[in-house]
Amino acid sequence: MTAAQVTLSLQRLIEAAQATVAAHAEELTALDQAIGDGDHGHNMVRGFTAMQAAAAEIAAQPFGKALHKAGMTLVMKVGGASGPLYGSLLMAMGKAREDAPTDSAALAAVVQAGVEAVKARGKSDAGAKTMLDVLVPVQAALAEGGGIAAVRSAADAGLAATKPMLATKGRASFLGERSIGHLDPGARSCALLVHAVCDVLEEE
Amino acid sequence: MTDTVSIVIVSHSAEVAKGAADMVRQMVGEEVRVAFCGGNSEGGLGTDVAAILEAIQAVYSSKGVAVLVDLGGAETNSEMAIEMLPEGESENVRICNAPIVEGAVMAATEAAGGSSLTAVCATAEDFQS
Amino acid sequence: MSEIEPMEDWVSDAAVIRDPTGLHARPAVKLTKLAKTFEAAVEVRTENKDVWTNAKSPNKVMKLKAAHGEPLLIRAAGSDAQAAVTALVDLVDRDFDG
Repeated sequence: MTAAQVTLSLQRLIEAAQATVAAHAEELTALDQAIGDGDHGHNMVRGFTAMQAAAAEIAAQPFGKALHKAGMTLVMKVGGASGPLYGSLLMAMGKAREDAPTDSAALAAVVQAGVEAVKARGKSDAGAKTMLDVLVPVQAALAEGGGIAAVRSAADAGLAATKPMLATKGRASFLGERSIGHLDPGARSCALLVHAVCDVLEEE
Repeated sequence: MTDTVSIVIVSHSAEVAKGAADMVRQMVGEEVRVAFCGGNSEGGLGTDVAAILEAIQAVYSSKGVAVLVDLGGAETNSEMAIEMLPEGESENVRICNAPIVEGAVMAATEAAGGSSLTAVCATAEDFQS
Repeated sequence: MSEIEPMEDWVSDAAVIRDPTGLHARPAVKLTKLAKTFEAAVEVRTENKDVWTNAKSPNKVMKLKAAHGEPLLIRAAGSDAQAAVTALVDLVDRDFDG
């Protein structure tokens, strides 16, 4: 990943994120109906549509402030626990760095800060059948200097791993053993967003 | 300027939140300020950071605010809302680890006597023991 | 259960619970709130238990489960102990104002 590649167009990233969430809203809702309360698709669309409406304003800011504002938009608009979780991810990434990261090590550090914030907010870690099962391996792939392909496959493997897992966090944990055999909707939305970011990176 | 701790009730359901607040008002009285919120912005089940923030600020007191929550997301969103309060206010707002309805009544009863936030939360959290 | 030292100088009295369901949640809250308005240590117990309960603790008062027709024993120690006991007995006698 070169310096040019990580100098992202935030506007395009937001558009790509909103598009993928909107395109997969029904799938996310179906996954959430199986083990949650069935509102994940709907909530994510609401949040990312609000983010897109503010895209020009967000993208006009320097990296740190832009991510903070984007995260705050999700916190206020998503509703449900996904708002604070995704919001904390972006806000912590924004807090970690004022300007856009210019190499993959710096990007890994920024993502690391975000992942730690999600762990703290959710009082969770990888292995509990949550979005962290995607975020943690994605961050590890970045930290190892892996390219876009490595990041994509880390996200896919992390997502797939949630299927046989027993949920111990969030609404799905009430189902106990019945949560086994379903993909986690939060991990799915997270993997979708990772792929959307990778798509934009590849185009640039 | 009030001299009692205020109560905020955060449920996934607007009706549960209102019902719990009604119970507090009827059982404990009007001297403790109670705010509640529940449901998402479209009237379904859920909790909403903006609404929680608004509820906390509606009854904010430097004496303290005890927040009672129901399920997981209510707690996560309440923690987020507390962190988003202006500088110096966050530390006066605490989530009680207590059942929402019983905890709210107990917390308000303790608050009515002018007790500190620590005492109010302890009474609510002691409910089951 | 008493946390108050010294143990002398208690002012005591008793009143009978009139509510058909006993000392349930609502009256327990009223009793606690009233007890809290006094400086004195205020304690209550039922006749069949020999431990006193802090009347200012809503959790403990609710767990008393004092039944209909049962006398509630009330005692207080401190500057306004007599006023506290009188007020609490009066509250029970008024059947907690319905």
